[in-house]
Amino acid sequence: MLTYPVQTRSRLAHTVFALLNPIPFGLFVAALIFDAIYACNANVFWVKSAAWLNMIGLIFAIIPRLINLVHVWMPARRSSRVEKLDFWLNLVAIITAIVNAFVHSRDAYGVMPEGVWLSAVTVALIAIGLIVSALQQATTPGGRHE
Amino acid sequence: MNKTYIAQACTVALMMVLAGCEKATYEPAQQSGANPPLPKAQKFFIPPIQTPDRTGWAEGEKPTVADGLAIEKIASGLMHPRQLLTLPNGDVLVVEANSPGTVPITSPKQMIASIVKDRSGKGGKGGNRITLLRKAAGQSGEWEKYIFIENLHSPFGVQLIGDTLYVANTDNIMKYHYTPGETRMSDPGVEFTDLPSTVNHHWTKALLASHDGKKLYVGVGSNSNVAENGLDIEYRRATVLEVDVQSAASRIYASGIRNPTGLGWEPTTGKLWAIVNERDEIGADLVPDYLTSVQEGGFYGWPYSYYGQHVDQRVQPQRPDLVARAIRPDYALGSHVAPLGLWFYQGRNLPEKYHGGAFIGQHGSWNRTPLSGYDVVFVRFKDGKPEGVPEPIVTGFASADQRTLKGAPVGLAEDAEGALLIADDVGNTIWRVTARGTDTSAPR
Repeated sequence: MLTYPVQTRSRLAHTVFALLNPIPFGLFVAALIFDAIYACNANVFWVKSAAWLNMIGLIFAIIPRLINLVHVWMPARRSSRVEKLDFWLNLVAIITAIVNAFVHSRDAYGVMPEGVWLSAVTVALIAIGLIVSALQQATTPGGRHE
Repeated sequence: MNKTYIAQACTVALMMVLAGCEKATYEPAQQSGANPPLPKAQKFFIPPIQTPDRTGWAEGEKPTVADGLAIEKIASGLMHPRQLLTLPNGDVLVVEANSPGTVPITSPKQMIASIVKDRSGKGGKGGNRITLLRKAAGQSGEWEKYIFIENLHSPFGVQLIGDTLYVANTDNIMKYHYTPGETRMSDPGVEFTDLPSTVNHHWTKALLASHDGKKLYVGVGSNSNVAENGLDIEYRRATVLEVDVQSAASRIYASGIRNPTGLGWEPTTGKLWAIVNERDEIGADLVPDYLTSVQEGGFYGWPYSYYGQHVDQRVQPQRPDLVARAIRPDYALGSHVAPLGLWFYQGRNLPEKYHGGAFIGQHGSWNRTPLSGYDVVFVRFKDGKPEGVPEPIVTGFASADQRTLKGAPVGLAEDAEGALLIADDVGNTIWRVTARGTDTSAPR
């Protein structure tokens, strides 16, 4: 079973990427759930927690995204179209999450409705990248080899 | 390649968002009086912050005063002086304090804001004490300085009723027996009553005694900007409490009054007035801080609305029933000027035009470009009502380029000779303003 979309040429980078890359996605999904709950019940506990989840997700995303940047673009010709697509989807997702971190610095319900929409876009973009990569790997036996 | 354009477009959009920090369009005076213009509330992307760094006053450097006035330094080297009280024998008490620092960090913004505030000019450590100043007979220059009470807990308000001194810590009111003439409080003191003290986001407890000595009025600030810490910790917050001196029993005298930092009796009508710090982060020109009479049982809107029925959308669930009876404050001072000191002047030293009006110490904005406040203004009163625009009387606390801070005015008082005293918690100084050319060493 394939659980991550890209591999890398360095074994160390590959391992670190495999370890860290799932973490931001999980945190962003949790932030989306918390935002959705806050949008419904207006208990500030949820939106403050969502702000932390989003921020911690961004911090955990730094290393795997840098590994992915090197892997996809150095040199670019060795990467598949799907890998490049996944890179761009993740980049836009991270930018969305950064904007969302600022939106989540507003007080109380000032976060809504933008906060829950930005959380949803962040999750959707990363999810599309994962889905497209998984489909490609499923149709290419053994994935991509060096 | 198409995707590169998308990425570039996103980057440009982000830069525009980041650069789009709004600037204020109104001067405080333009947004003052009974009917201040109130622009539409805005949502921001970057929390607005502009905090000047502290430099303090150079040797011989002073604030600037209005025509016909003179200013001198009567004490320096204090530890964050905030409030002043003149005792019947002419001694002056200086309350030195800062926040107790008990606000838990519950959001990423609080973490970043606390770092920024500590680095700014306003993060000075409070002395948690009261210092007594005494003018040496026939001498000019700084007054004699005695440490009067120590080991207080973020004190702010202080009042004398008869021979009992009341000190409002952030969590209680202490009661001391005062012996006239003493330079060190001989009574260890007892707790008179407790005060709302969870979190203490707004920690100052302003204090004012009634003229008959039967009641104490306490200004209690809210526990948040606009209820973002939940409403359950706002119990008895954003209120003026009335405490019975005989029994220590207290009740809410007025509510929805976000952060009443100074209380005073208007001299002609004898009504209770307050200066109030209004909410932040819906625009550089919102919401003007205000000066208002405090009506018994009155509700002033916080957190649900401001200036009467202007609903704040950040508060959910909303309370249209409360908004409907929210009182519109009497007089706006300008947005984010941060009034922290109120004094109705009744002395005879300053020129006649100041008699019966209110001086207001404005500690200054931390989230507005350009800065506002950082001055002492005068509001004229006629028939018990404020009129005209606030007139800057003492200025020059912030540097001309607004990057550094020499001082910031807080509490005000009048000394035995009718001079206006100003506590400066950034310059750690007490200033004394007199009419130019008056010989203030002799009683008038």
